Parts: sequence; C-alpha cells; structure tokens
Amino acid sequence: MIRLGVDVGGTFTDLILLNEESDQSWIHKVPSTPSDPSEAVINGVTEICEMAGIKPFEIDQFFHGTTVATNIVLEHNGAEVGLITTEGFRDILHIARHKRPFNFSLYQDLPWQKYPLVRRRNRLVVPERISAAGEILTPLDEEATRQQVRKLKEANVSAIAVCFLYSFKNPQHENRVKEIIQEEFPEAYLSISNEILPQYREYERFSTVALNAFIGPKTSRYINRLEDVLKKMGIKTSINLMQSNGGIATAQVAAEKPISLLLSGPVAGLIGGIKAAKNANFDNIITLDIGGTSADIGVAPNGEMRMRHLLDTRIGQYNAMVPMVDIDTIGAGGGSIAYVDEGGIFRVGPQSAGADPGPACYNRGGTVPTSTDANVLLGRIHPESRLAGSMQIKPELSEKAFDEHIASKLNMTALEAAAGALKIMTHNMVNAIEMNSVRKGYDPRDFTLVAAGGAGPLFACDIAMELNIPNVVVPPYPGITAAAGLLSTDIAYEKVHTLWGSLTNPDISSIRDVIEKLEQDSLKTLKEDGLSDEQIVLQRVCDCRYAGQGYELRVDAPKGEINEAWVKEVIERFHQVHEREYASQFPDQEVVAINVRVIGIGLVQSDKEQSFVDQGKPNFSVSSYPSYPVYFWVQDKLQKQDTRFINREDIPVGTNILGPAVIQQKDSTTLLPPDCTASFDEYGNIVIDMTEALSVKNSKDLIASITK
Amino acid sequence: MTDKNAYENIDPVTLGVIAGSFNSIAKEMALVLYRMAYSSIIRESEDLGAGLFDVDGNEICESDSTPMHIGSLPGYIDGVRHFLGDNINDGDIILHNNPYYGASHTPDLAIIIPIFYDGELVAFAANTGHVLDAGGMSPGLMVDVVDVYAEGKHYNAIKLYNKGEKNEEIWRHIFENVRTPKENKGDVEAMIASAKLGKRRYLELIERYGLQTVLAAQKRWMDYSEEMIRKEISKIPDGEYKAPTGWLDDDGRNYGERLRIETSVKINGSDLIVDLTGSSDQVETAYNVPFSGSTLPATYTIVRAILLDEAVSEVFIPQNSGIFKPIKVEAPLGSMWNPKAPAACTARINQVQRLADQINLALSEVLPDKTTAGNAAHVHFNSYAGIKEDSGDYWVYIEVNEGSYGGRYGKDGLDSVDNLVANTRNNPIEELEMRLPMRCNRYELREEGASAGKWRGGIGIVRTWEFITDSLFTGEGDRHTDPPRGVYGGQDGLTGSMTLNPNTDAEQNLHAKLTNFKIRKGDVLEIRTPCAGGYGNPHERDPQDVLEDVLDDFTSKEKAEEIYKVVIRDDLTIDEKATKQLREGSKVLNS
Repeated sequence: MIRLGVDVGGTFTDLILLNEESDQSWIHKVPSTPSDPSEAVINGVTEICEMAGIKPFEIDQFFHGTTVATNIVLEHNGAEVGLITTEGFRDILHIARHKRPFNFSLYQDLPWQKYPLVRRRNRLVVPERISAAGEILTPLDEEATRQQVRKLKEANVSAIAVCFLYSFKNPQHENRVKEIIQEEFPEAYLSISNEILPQYREYERFSTVALNAFIGPKTSRYINRLEDVLKKMGIKTSINLMQSNGGIATAQVAAEKPISLLLSGPVAGLIGGIKAAKNANFDNIITLDIGGTSADIGVAPNGEMRMRHLLDTRIGQYNAMVPMVDIDTIGAGGGSIAYVDEGGIFRVGPQSAGADPGPACYNRGGTVPTSTDANVLLGRIHPESRLAGSMQIKPELSEKAFDEHIASKLNMTALEAAAGALKIMTHNMVNAIEMNSVRKGYDPRDFTLVAAGGAGPLFACDIAMELNIPNVVVPPYPGITAAAGLLSTDIAYEKVHTLWGSLTNPDISSIRDVIEKLEQDSLKTLKEDGLSDEQIVLQRVCDCRYAGQGYELRVDAPKGEINEAWVKEVIERFHQVHEREYASQFPDQEVVAINVRVIGIGLVQSDKEQSFVDQGKPNFSVSSYPSYPVYFWVQDKLQKQDTRFINREDIPVGTNILGPAVIQQKDSTTLLPPDCTASFDEYGNIVIDMTEALSVKNSKDLIASITK
Repeated sequence: MTDKNAYENIDPVTLGVIAGSFNSIAKEMALVLYRMAYSSIIRESEDLGAGLFDVDGNEICESDSTPMHIGSLPGYIDGVRHFLGDNINDGDIILHNNPYYGASHTPDLAIIIPIFYDGELVAFAANTGHVLDAGGMSPGLMVDVVDVYAEGKHYNAIKLYNKGEKNEEIWRHIFENVRTPKENKGDVEAMIASAKLGKRRYLELIERYGLQTVLAAQKRWMDYSEEMIRKEISKIPDGEYKAPTGWLDDDGRNYGERLRIETSVKINGSDLIVDLTGSSDQVETAYNVPFSGSTLPATYTIVRAILLDEAVSEVFIPQNSGIFKPIKVEAPLGSMWNPKAPAACTARINQVQRLADQINLALSEVLPDKTTAGNAAHVHFNSYAGIKEDSGDYWVYIEVNEGSYGGRYGKDGLDSVDNLVANTRNNPIEELEMRLPMRCNRYELREEGASAGKWRGGIGIVRTWEFITDSLFTGEGDRHTDPPRGVYGGQDGLTGSMTLNPNTDAEQNLHAKLTNFKIRKGDVLEIRTPCAGGYGNPHERDPQDVLEDVLDDFTSKEKAEEIYKVVIRDDLTIDEKATKQLREGSKVLNS
C-alpha cells in the first residue's frame, strides 16, 4: 500500500509519502501557490513520486489537509450569498448576540455588520412559522418563496442559505423551499439549515449555514478541480480531506459541507503530534506547534483529542457551530516582535515581523527585535553552524535591534533583553497550556509535550521545565507534523439532532428513535463512501446540562441498548464531566440532554506502523561537532555554557545525548538544556527526559522555601 | 502592603508574566460563573462581573463581561468593611447587595471571598451577578416602589460560610424568601465556585513568585493604567465642556414630568471631573442611581472607552483601579445621581446609559474623532413573569433590549447592539420559546432606517412578543420623548416606544416605565428601541454609500434625495449629474 499525505499551508505545501511494502517514507516541501493551491499540490505530488521512484497511479490512498475554506473566511472573499428566512427575522445575522467584542471602545467594528456573510439586500423573508413544538403555525407561502428565489437569481447570488426558525423540530418548510430553488435556480449552491445543522440557537445556526454557503462554491470548485487534475496525472484513488473534528471526509461529502473543513490544518498537526508521542509510548499528550507568527496548542488526555465547547467554535469572527477539536492558537512565533510600550512595559507579540521583512538578523530590512533574534543573541541559533541552504544570519543586527528598542529603554544589556523576551514568550505559552490543561482538570506532570513546527523544539524544554512536564518528544520532521498526521486519521462524520429531553424523567422511546435515526444516517453515509461493516464504528455523544442551566457539556454515551440503565449511565457520566469542568456537581438535580450526536467512524488506516530509516553515522561522536557558547536558564539565572551543535540526521537510533546540546535539522532546531537527556528512538523521535533537570530545579525550590 | 523595595526592583519580565496571569484569572472566573449559572440573565446575557481586589478594595483585574458590574466591586468591598470591620477570616464566603453600602443595585448580588496567605489578609476574589428575583414587591424588575426595602432583601455582608463552615439556616432563609429559589441558588453556587477559583489562582501566583513580587506587580499595573489614562486626559485642553441638557421621560409614577440631566466635564491637567450639579433631585420611585455602585462605574467606563479605546490602542491596557483614580464625579447628595437612604434605587440602568452619552456629548467638541453622535443610551429592560400552572412555581424572564451607536468620525454607527455601559447577550428565541409561554413574532432592524449624517447613526430594533398566558410585565425603559442627538449637522435619532396590540382596534401606546402591568393571553407587545443620531452633514455623505444604504433598506430612495441630496434612478444607479446639481444648489441655499 502506498499512501500520500499533502498538507497545504499558507507558505509551504508539505508532503509525506509512505510505501508500506518497502517500509520507506519520503518527505517533501514545495512553496504554496495561494492563487490556485492545486498547482503546488500537483508540483509536490509529481516531485515526491519521482523521489520515491513511483508513478502517480500507484498511490493507493490520498489524504489532504487544506486551508482553502479557512482562507476564504479570513480574507472574506467568498460567494455572494442569498438567504431565505422566516418573515419577521430578516436581521438575525445582523443583530447576532447583540454583544460587542470590546467593552471599552466607541470606535470598534462589529465584524458581522461590517463584513456580512449575507448582505441585507439578499436577505429575503417568506411567510412561514414552525412553533417550538414543531407544529406549523403559519404555512409556507410557496408563491412568495418562488418570487424571492427569482429575486436572488436576478441579484446574481451563487449560493443560497435557507434558515427557518425551529427547522430542527420540523424540516418540512425548509425542504419544500429547497425543491422550489432546485426548480427555479438549479445552479445555486445550497445550504439548508436542517441538513447542515439541525440544532437549536438560531443565530449560531444561521451563521453556520450562511458561512457554509459563503465558502461552498469556491471550496467545492477547488475540490472538484483538484480531483480532475489528479485524475489527469493518473492518480486513481479519490481524495480524502481532513475535517475540523479530527476525522477525514471524502471529497463528495466535503464539497457538500465545506464548513467541516475549517480547522483542517492545525488539527492534522495535533494528530501528527499524538501519533509521534504514541509511538514513543506516551499516552497523555500536549502538542505545541510554533510557526512564524503563531503557536497552536492541543491537549489530548489518553491520546484522545478533546472537542471544543460548541459555543466557542468560531472561525475568524464568525460563529460556526460545528464540532471542532479544541486547539488554542496564540500570537507567539519565531517572528514575534519584542517592544517597550508607551508606559514602559516590556512586551512580545502578537505582532510579527512575518517572513518579510522578517527578523533583524536576516538583513532583509527588518530592524525590530524578534523572538528569532533573541535566540540568535543567546547563541541558540548560530551563524557559523547553519545547515546548507538555510538563511544567512547576522547576529550584530539582532544585537542592534535589542539595544535600540529594548535594552536602552529598560536599562539592561541586549543579552538580558533577549533572554527576557524569550522568557515572556515562554510564559505566554505556559499560560495558554495551563488554560487548556490544569484549568480543565488535567495535570501537566502526567503529560508529555510534543514539540512541532520550526520553532517548537527551541522552546519545548524551557516550557516543560516551567510546567514540570517530565518528557518532551520531538518528531522526526517537526516541520511537517500536519502532513504526517494526515496519514494517521480515519473517516469520521458527526451527525447531531436537538432532543431537549429530560434524562431524569426520560422518554426512552423518543431518545431511542432519535439515536437510531442518526445511526442509520451515519451508516448510510459511510456505506456510500464504500466502507464495509467491519470498518465502521459508531459512537454516541449526549450534550447535557442540569435543567435550568444554559450550556451543555459533551458526554460520551455508552453503546448497547437504550434503556433505563443506559440513561442512568449517561447521567452518571455527566456528573463526572461537570465535576471535571467546574469542580462541582449537583447529583440531586434534573439532567437534560439537549442534543444527541452520533459519530460514524470509517477505519481506513492500516495497522502498519510508519517506520524510520536510520541514516545515523556509524562512528557518530558528539565531540566531533563544533562547540559554541549558548545561554541557558539555570536556577533562574542566565548561564553561558559551551554547547555542541549536532546534525540530527547523523545521530544513530539508540543514541543518548546529555545536554547541553543543540540539534539541528533542515526544518527545525532542538534546544537541549543542561541536565536533560535526549534519546533517539526507532521511529526517529527525539525523546527528552526532563526528570533530572526537574529534580535539580525542584530541590532548589525546596531549599528556597525552607530558608525563606 | 506593597513593599517599596519590591516595587522598585520588580523586573520587567516578571511584571509582564504576572499581568498575563491576572488577565486570564479574571476571564476564567467569569467563564465558570456564566457557564454554570442558572438564570438566563447571568448565563445567556452575561450580566455579571468577576475579578481580584487588593485589601483596600482596589481592583487588580476584571473579566471582560458587563462593565457596570466589575467597576462597582470596590464599593461592595467598602460596604463589607463597613459591616464587618476586621471580622473577616479565612474560609469566609460573604454575600452582599446593599446599594447604600456599595452595591450596584439590589438584585446584583456579590460574592466576596477574602484571601489569606500566611495568616494575613492579602486580597479578595469577588464577583457580582444579577439574580432573577431579589424578593422585592414584584417579580423580576420594578420601578414604582416606595423605598429601598421594597426592592428586595438586603444581605449586609452576610457570611454564607463562616471560617469554612456553612451557615445552613441563613441559606434556607435566603432562598425561601425569593420567587426563584432554584435559579438563585444555582447562581450563588456558581458565583462561589468562581470566587473560590480566583482565590486558588491568586494563591498559586503567590506560591510561584512570592507575595511581595505579586503585590508589587499589581501596584505597578495599576500605576501603569493610571499613567496611560492621565496621559490622554492631559492632551485635552484645560477647561469646562458642557453637554446639552438631557431629559429623561419621567420617574415611572409621575408620567409626563421630565427629569433634567446637566453634565459638564472639567479638565484640570491630568484630572477629569464630571459635574452633575443641576440635574434632577432624587425621585419618589426607584428611578434613582446608587452613587458608588452605579454613577461612578458608568463614568469610569465611558471615560475609558473614549480615551483608551480598546479597539484602537495598540497595546492591552488592563482595566483596574488605576483607571478610576484621575476621574471624579460631583453629584450633590439628594440628587438623582446620589440619593439619600431609604430612597428606592433599583431602576438605574437607563440613567447611567444617558450619563455615559452626556459625557460623550460634552467631549464631542474637543474630541471630535474619539466621540460619537448621540447614542441610543437606554435599555428597554423588561421583565415578564407568571406562575406555572403545573408546579405553581414562578417563571421570570428578564430581557435586555439592545440599542445602537451614534455616527462616528469616519465611520457609521453600530446597529442593534448593547451600548455604552451595558454589554450583555440576547437570549436565543429558540431557547426562550421552549421554556416560556411567549412567542416572538418579529425581531429585526426598525424599518424607519438610519438617521442621516455624513456618517449615519445606528439602527435600533423592533421586537414583538405574543403572550400565550396572562403575564405580569414590568418595563424599565426610557427615551420615549428625547431622541439621541445628531452632531456636527447630523440628524437627531428616533425615540423608542412600546405598543400593546399594534395595528388593531385595541392598540395602546405604553409608557416606558410600568410596574406590574397585566398582559392578557393573546396580547401582542411591540418594543422599538431608539435609533442613534447621525454625525456630520448628510450632504457630504459619499453618494455610493447612500446607494448602498438604499439597496440594503437602511434608507429609502426618497430620503436619499430629500435628505442626502443623492438622486437615484429607478434602475438603482446614481444620477451623478442630478446629484451634483442638487448638492450644489443646497450649498448655495445654506450659505
């Protein structure tokens, strides 16, 4: 079996190709082509096939992660969308939740008003109304509907969203409007609320469905075009796309519901990180992927991704109430700018020097100090020890930048300023990791930190030190973790329905009916994707809350017959989840299941483990590598130590290296502080043991507290 | 107490690190509170605040929920000190809500937890939340009440836990004397969980960085915020800036007797004083404003919003007591802004909204690119209640109807959004109708459209409710008579209204304030909230923008020609020539 993962990012398109028969893998990176992302995909695929000596038709599975949908939202260049909605409710998308983003601001913009998904002129109403109980209060005026559809056609919209109140209780009217549109305006891309998201909360549903229409035409065009050109290249298999829920979808499903593709990139990164840590035999995983401008943080207890709270799922400034893996992104990366503000406060980021002009040391016109410059000043990135093909750097420019912008203002040396900037960044990331771990009931001391991205492995040990994390894993190719993640994902579709039924006094037959229907739908979709019964796994989730509360928590519900015992088990699990989330539970209170969900999983990954080709030098010796001074934090003091700069690919599997050391590779640099031990495992991971370094730190803390 | 040495020697890196923690602690406290809470006014509307305070009650950090709440907590802590003095111990959990001792108003309960370290009181973790019912003379809201005692029960620094021990009797007493015991209890539990979390996080900070460093950092950040706002105040030339006289409709009993608001802003170096002398005396209903709990926080909020606009400033400037220090308010005791006990004072949101707008208008002349045209500056704050047939329990729903912002220099005003010192969320219709015997028939922008200006005013909303059973209605609203003001030649906005059974024979125009008004099954209530004023001469509005407004029904073709002097053809394109002629003609007329 030959499997290919292609991840399209903003700057680079990453590829990984795995030949299971010969047990070999290849990685490749080509520049992305934002105007038509499929170009880079074709280039990359052609080149990696040549590298591997195979023909495109030999590829058995093609997995794809793309930011196409995300970029349409961020750049606001989606389709002209029309909306057909219930009379009296033309402005649900305009009013939103009537809360402004900033408390203290008269000059802020409301993104949903300034950059509407559907302009008001294209939001048209028709007489119809379904009640909260699902009864028809006002029948649909079909003639009015037909006229409104014609109006939208005249207005040249290319997509239509249909959103009626309570369509999740009774979809008749929406479905009839769909038929009318198909008669009057068959070319229009359709996004029907009860199909996309049969779930209560009108603003969030309307916004999600409108967003789906907004990105629909372009995204589906992209997918179709990509399939076409790949076919022309001779690729026989169809493409599978990464979704925000951590599963993959077939091209057809993705084209109908592109909204599910929105977090594609970071999720694949998280999965790749989990995979690396699992290979190294760790279960509880925190992933940290630091790029040029931002850092993605994911927490996976027992190697399982957590889903974000459904009211926190937004993309850019728009609500999208679709299942998304809980990944936190903060503005901290290699290009983050350090500065002193008007009030004399030392700050780093979120502004970034980006790739252009980039850090001062690149000598491309950047004059402000960045995180990369700080690493240069501390000797962690060294001008004389750069790998072939990498950027030339000028440390004197980094020093000048820190001198002028920080050191002179705060009365410190450039070195202290650089160390300070890294410390502030480290703490920003520590804070973000704590928000997602400790504060959700998970103790980082039970976790392993996976460092990815170009800059992740530079910061990982310092962060692990702060959080008392005992192990750090650096995957073989930290810069292409997302592409690697694509190769360890199964198909997953999540279907949801608003139930709003008590579990304490349950109507068991109605719960059973809803879940069975969702399960049948899931089976149908998976079978249409060509999956066999043995490949299909169904999971159940109930969104529950105490009666009277306003927010649900996701509870994994058991398999098996839905009866009283099943309901009791769900209630029990909900109490536990509430306890974990809010540190309290109310066992005597009524529990209500607001939504029920079924996740249909199609197992498409082979059990075969990805292996790593050991290219280590037989006579490898640390002492043969050059040594330069590098600054480390030792007991909260900056200390200079002579440090070897070692090329990663030279290091044989099974080697152990005691820090300090700097391990360099093409797409990343790993910093190994004193007292940390790195070992190189058979999967190509660097596994760093922090226990010695932590015990040194903690014994000092202890002494400090005794002598206080 | 802040150690001088620690203060001077705190390194800039630690300072930055600790600030990040303060910020996330307050956020996390608010999140736990609204996610766990029971009443929709807390959990959906987020009518709450949470933060940390030093031993003197100075605010260290606050959540980005409703600004009115958190700015009031220093006053609550003063009130707690008044009642308890030094009788504050580790393990105490204190409930407080007396508006004459710091509370924002009676239904805004506060939970305050003292934080001890090494046996010494070092800080407070505290939050406030608006409960559905405080056990007053009527369910939910009320305006026409006789005195502060009729507004609800007052918990004068009552210890729900005393040194860690739960006072079961007081719990029973508190929740047996309100109409919504289950919701209130759930809310108070959520507030306790949130404050406990604040306490735990603050102690973790001390463990990590040491007490003196944390104290030094919080002091330094307050000084920082103070310095930043003083810098902005200093940029305004010294002098007195006066807003036009504003008028409130009435006090909710003496209908038609308008209440005067006089506002002037005095700048003296880096100090800013808001003088409300000349405003109405206190009134005989609850339409008065608690001074420290409401008048002050509203002033702090608007001054900060104008001078240190979060969306505009490059750096994050934390909201803390430093912001409050340069700002003073003068309001004579016995006036509407500073009533004498036992005057009732629970209905105050409309007045503080207007106060914020008056300050904005006063500064319009000197800060034309930081202020807005007149804002909706009101809230149609409505409560609906009844008794459930099956259980006999009360149902109560409190609704915050949004406003709109005035036109701004270079930008149109914001439509249909909570404004000024309010920033809550609306409740999903699909949630309300599943729980309440009410049905929403309309929730849209007002069809009259925007008030004209070079930059148009924001548009208010129209909402109609149909009642499925007999219900009790209280309206705490205003702005039915005095519209938001246009500035620099922009048009005035539109007043709000409430109408029972509109467009029927039984149509009835309602006052903005009603207490316990009986609504019958089948009645329809229509609420219209004000449209804000325009900024600048409409003749100067870009014709293309006028056309876009016509296409989106923000204005009409007729108004485009009559008010904006933009001629739009039947095919919805601009007649450039006719427009030019019309605009030049009107210039001649004006000159």
